Amino acid sequence: MVSAQLRNKANEFLNSRKHANNLADILQMFDAETDNYTPLLLTIEVIFTELLKRGDLVQEIIPLKPIEHSPESEYTRWLHECYEAALARCLECIRRGRTSSRLQALVTACKLLQAEGRHPLETANGYYFPSVRLKNIFNVLLDSEISMSAPIARFQEFTEYKDVQQYGLKVLATMGYKKTPSTIYMQNYLELMDKLLATEIPTEYKNKAKDREEEKEEKVLCAAEGRPSFVYHATICRRQANRCWGFACQWALCEEPRAHRRALLLLVERLMPLLSRPHLATDMLCDSLDAGGPISMLALQGVLELVRRHNIDYPDMYDRLYAMFEPEMFATRYKRRLIHLADIFLSSTHLPEGLVAAFAKRLSRLALVASPEDAISLLQLVANLLLRHPALKRMICYEDTPAIMSADPYVMEETSAVGARALGSSLWEVSALRRHVAPAVASAAARVLAAADQRAAPLALAPPDAAMFDAELKKRFKTIEMNFMRPQGLALPVAAERVAHYWQLTA
Amino acid sequence: MKKKSEANKKKLNPFEVHINREKLKVLGKKSKHDRGLPGVSRAKAIKKRKETLGVEMKVMNKTNAFIDRRIGEKNNQLSAEDRMIARFAAERAKQHSKKNIYNLADDEILTHRGQTLEQIEKFDDPRSDEEDDDFEKKFGGLDNDFVSEGHFGGGILSKTDAQDGAKSHKDLIEQLIAESKKRKAEKQKEKEQTLDLTEKLDSEWKDLQPVVFKKARVEEESVIDKVLSKAEKGQDYDKMMRELRFEKRGTPSDGLKSTEKQEAEERKKLEELEKQRQLRMLSEEEAAVPNRSQPTAKHRSADDLDDNFELDDERDFMLAYDKDGKPLVPEQVLKDFSVPNAKPKFDDGISDTSSEDDGEDESDEEASDDEAADAENKSIEKKKEQDIEIRDQQQDISSSDNDDDENQSSEEENTEEYKQSQAQILSEVNGISNKDVRSEETKEDEEEGSDDEAGSDDEQSVKGNEFDNLEDLKESKEESEVEDEHEEESKETIESFFDLKAEEGVKLKELLTGKSPSQQSAALQKLIKSYDPSQSANNKELLSRLFAHLLQYVNDLFHGLKDEGGALKSFLMYDKLLPHFYDLAHTNKVSAKRFICELLKEKHDKYTKSPRKVPDLDTLVFFKLISAIYPTSDFRHPVTTPSVLFMCEILTSCRFRDAYSISRGLFLVSLILEYTALSKRYAPAAVNFLRGLLYLSADTSVLNPVQVVPPFKLHGAEKVLRLERECTSLSAGDRMSSADLVADSLGERFKVNCLYNSVLMLREYFDNCCDMEAQGAIFEPHIKLMDRIDLDLYPKKVAKAVKEVARHMKATLEVKTYTPLARERKRPKALRLYEPDIQEVFTGSKSSKLSREKAEKARLESKYKKEMKGALREIRRDKAYIASVKIRQKIQSDIIRKDKVKQIYKDASIQQGELNKLKRMK
Repeated sequence: MVSAQLRNKANEFLNSRKHANNLADILQMFDAETDNYTPLLLTIEVIFTELLKRGDLVQEIIPLKPIEHSPESEYTRWLHECYEAALARCLECIRRGRTSSRLQALVTACKLLQAEGRHPLETANGYYFPSVRLKNIFNVLLDSEISMSAPIARFQEFTEYKDVQQYGLKVLATMGYKKTPSTIYMQNYLELMDKLLATEIPTEYKNKAKDREEEKEEKVLCAAEGRPSFVYHATICRRQANRCWGFACQWALCEEPRAHRRALLLLVERLMPLLSRPHLATDMLCDSLDAGGPISMLALQGVLELVRRHNIDYPDMYDRLYAMFEPEMFATRYKRRLIHLADIFLSSTHLPEGLVAAFAKRLSRLALVASPEDAISLLQLVANLLLRHPALKRMICYEDTPAIMSADPYVMEETSAVGARALGSSLWEVSALRRHVAPAVASAAARVLAAADQRAAPLALAPPDAAMFDAELKKRFKTIEMNFMRPQGLALPVAAERVAHYWQLTA
Repeated sequence: MKKKSEANKKKLNPFEVHINREKLKVLGKKSKHDRGLPGVSRAKAIKKRKETLGVEMKVMNKTNAFIDRRIGEKNNQLSAEDRMIARFAAERAKQHSKKNIYNLADDEILTHRGQTLEQIEKFDDPRSDEEDDDFEKKFGGLDNDFVSEGHFGGGILSKTDAQDGAKSHKDLIEQLIAESKKRKAEKQKEKEQTLDLTEKLDSEWKDLQPVVFKKARVEEESVIDKVLSKAEKGQDYDKMMRELRFEKRGTPSDGLKSTEKQEAEERKKLEELEKQRQLRMLSEEEAAVPNRSQPTAKHRSADDLDDNFELDDERDFMLAYDKDGKPLVPEQVLKDFSVPNAKPKFDDGISDTSSEDDGEDESDEEASDDEAADAENKSIEKKKEQDIEIRDQQQDISSSDNDDDENQSSEEENTEEYKQSQAQILSEVNGISNKDVRSEETKEDEEEGSDDEAGSDDEQSVKGNEFDNLEDLKESKEESEVEDEHEEESKETIESFFDLKAEEGVKLKELLTGKSPSQQSAALQKLIKSYDPSQSANNKELLSRLFAHLLQYVNDLFHGLKDEGGALKSFLMYDKLLPHFYDLAHTNKVSAKRFICELLKEKHDKYTKSPRKVPDLDTLVFFKLISAIYPTSDFRHPVTTPSVLFMCEILTSCRFRDAYSISRGLFLVSLILEYTALSKRYAPAAVNFLRGLLYLSADTSVLNPVQVVPPFKLHGAEKVLRLERECTSLSAGDRMSSADLVADSLGERFKVNCLYNSVLMLREYFDNCCDMEAQGAIFEPHIKLMDRIDLDLYPKKVAKAVKEVARHMKATLEVKTYTPLARERKRPKALRLYEPDIQEVFTGSKSSKLSREKAEKARLESKYKKEMKGALREIRRDKAYIASVKIRQKIQSDIIRKDKVKQIYKDASIQQGELNKLKRMK
């Protein structure tokens, strides 16, 4: 109803100037509304996009000439004022109301930005991007009190445009400096930066021909026909990104775990290849590595990057990795990342056998307590270790005459992987997992033990298949086996009854 | 002949002997042809030819021939009598032709006084046999005294001397005549009496007949019989004879098995199923292992080119016999040969056969199901038969009424009787059904079922019966009227249960609410029985729908339980319902599986929406249901595997902080224990959960922590299960109860029981893993945690149990040995050697190397060649003989011709001489 009325009003306004007051009415209605601004936002979006397209907002300012006071120019000026007011309202709405309307406010702001970029208010030579508007939007998004993760996530659809990315980084770099920001601000900042870097910035050593091909597909937000096209400068982007990160580095990121995690994620996922002097991040990464838990897992990836690309030598790297494999890792979100990283770390064939054996042992110990899905990926990792390091085969098939031991020589509590004496041990855990309740785990364990026979290439770790339950349900069976003893009640007739031993349900 | 040959041998003419020179001497070889008598043998051959070919030539082109085939006619050594005997013997022998070797004296026509028995036997009056040859028949029926007196004239003299007025001879004769007449009359009368009696007996028998043979004959009567009976109406002898002849005999059936035998069979079947279950427990890899050593070394010939060429004479064998004439070959080989490829054999054994077995197993099960259903039906059928019989009798009677006018009076009596007996039977039937109703059991339904099946034709009578029943019921059973009402009510619902698809669920609820669990069970049983799949094709489908509704019912039953009473009641009902789930699932396996899978999926989807919250009982109880219906020990099973995964998922990702979640967690752990009890599988989720519970009840400081596995956290989580105060006096240490499932706060009792049961379950899990080397690694933290529990606070029983379990675990781990994993030692592969092909029976012939067909062919070919050679030779000789005979004949005829010509010349010359003489005389 409301939206229909509004649409009528907007149409009337756009059709004739007689209904000019409608615009004022609509802007007034922002005050009345508290929760859902979506229809209003849509209406002003429609109105001003149309106006911008028509060019009604363009004020002809001729330098050194007094301002005209013709009704025409008055109207234009009034429209301009309304436009500014509407933009201000719109930005306000990003902070308020329900989530959907906040998101809509952001989208409206961006759409208006786009319209303005296409139909600039002032004639300009070259490519025009309304950076001021973007700055306004960023100002709202980088709030110090309210977490803006939802609008920022929505903003990602605009950062795909190359011009938004470039100008956005530029704008962000200008406004990043802040002495002691609040944690919320930090998070918003990091998130926004993360989103701005979501599309990969091509690095220097990429093929130029390839670049050219990509340029054709580039999306530009404010492109308009008949005007010079946008030129994308990857170097500028990189420089700006470095500047942005430079500001962020000076903050106390490591105080608050969430911000810390986000910063690490940003660094590891997006920034590492862009940084001009990545070794400067070493300190931060090393500190994070010592922090333990998921933070160190994230830092690990950064360190791996440093070690691989930038020749940084890190002491006790493998012991740290070894220490990360604890039962707590199953509760974290980054367990798959950790397993993947461990696979990369341990793929070096120059590692001492004892170390890899300790890893294999520890991984299989963990698989003993893991959920079926985790157990499968751990077992896959163990299988890869066995395939890459043939010396480990003695852990699954002991060649000498098997001497019966009275205890497992492996020491789980030992922090150093080399000192865990794992080579003398066997992978009994894997053999125990052959009797896992989940048939998939059981067969995975059997495959690990069979790895000694073949010389297969190590497999890439399987993608997360969280829905083992669904997979089992989908399996087809030739026959449906049934019990052959009729139960007389809750208790099973066979010796299998256990619930009744511990539960007195019917009396 | 012998003497002749001997004589021949004696005067062996050295000039006749021909010696064949031996070119190569072979030791031990017997030579038959080293010397020969060419003259003698030639003479023999010629003689033989003369007898055969010569005779044939003689009769060539002659149409008639006289052959004297009289036995011994040409043999003059036999006397005439010998000849006769020989001919008689030949005649007798001829009679024993092959077609009646078992019918020894059939063709011989026995005669009696020239008449054949057939001529004598006329079956005219079979009763007149014995009476005639009474005692003392020899004198025409005269008395002893009369004979002694009247015969031989002896009596007359003595009697005339008698004082009592001697009778004249004439008197005597008259007396004699009178006496004999009187006796004849008496005999006649007696005879008539017996005749009457026999007839009466016969007629009574006829009446009794239908009662004695209680088989419905209406259906059996063939068309031919009907036609015949129409044609020969009134000829009751023939009719009866035919009836007797075509009397339905009892059909052979499996003998009733004794109870022990049945039990034994049952046991055997269960054992078989158990074996299969254990096979299914193994994974594919494990199952494949024992088969690996199967293939035996195959014989390889020295000529083997290693080109994988398979000689197909694998199955060849030498057929030889021992001295008793029995083949020396094992039985099964012979069998194999007689029925080639009777049974396909799988070399890779278990995987294939298991699938086959599965099929069989299923069919077996189905068969057994069918059997069970049959057994149920039998009783139904019996009653039906009775009904039919009664009607048959009625029909019989009425028809005979119409047919037999002359017997009407007697028949009428009979019908009266029948009506009575019928009424009796009917009342009996009613009685049975009354009893049924009284016992509230299934038989009534069976009757209903039978009624349904019997359909419209006997609807009326049955309806009458039913009304009777109901009336009887009301009269007889006022005391249990309430139940009765239930009965009727439920019967109505049962009858219209599946009428409306949309209302089934509602109706089920209607049927089951407001009843005690056992009543519910009875009602359900009735419902299931009345829709037995053997009675109608779509009953199976209906029952599968019922299964779904029951699932829904159970779901509703356990939904949102808040108080202890409700939980208890729900479990009691569930307890009674479970067997029906089993039955229904067995009637339609596929749809039951589908329903349960869908249910699981739905529950899982619901759970994934809030994966931190433990699902309520309306999810958990279905795991129990699944374990009751499906085998939990299978390596992979369409239903149990997903459900166990679901349970593990709950235990690994939910949060356990309050009574609600912990009690449900414990319930799940016990369920998982049940699932893994047979297969002894390892379920980390359950073991970790127990570890978490122990952690929650133990004292651990930050300084020396014992690690726990998520969802339990080392830091932050409150130790909710720790006892705050001493509870030694608490009488806890019992099983968990259904009240614990609805408890809202963690009471002391709850905590104590929790620890007690989790420790006991831990022990079972521990024992399940006894043969694993990793047992220590798995259970080490549990032991540590148990040591940290402050047992002084707990009741003695619980403390003792915990200590005992800890001690047991420690002791087991103490003696645990660790054998390094080693691959199964493979036997070193032997060099391929050529083995001698040892044959069991050596014949020395080269042909034994060949295949059977080839050897046979070679043998036949060589034989053919030999025979051909011989035959050609014979033919050549024959030709020579024939030529010699012909030339001889020719010479002879030439001689004769010459003689004749000479004669003619002679005659002519004589004639000429005479003519010349005459001429000269002129």
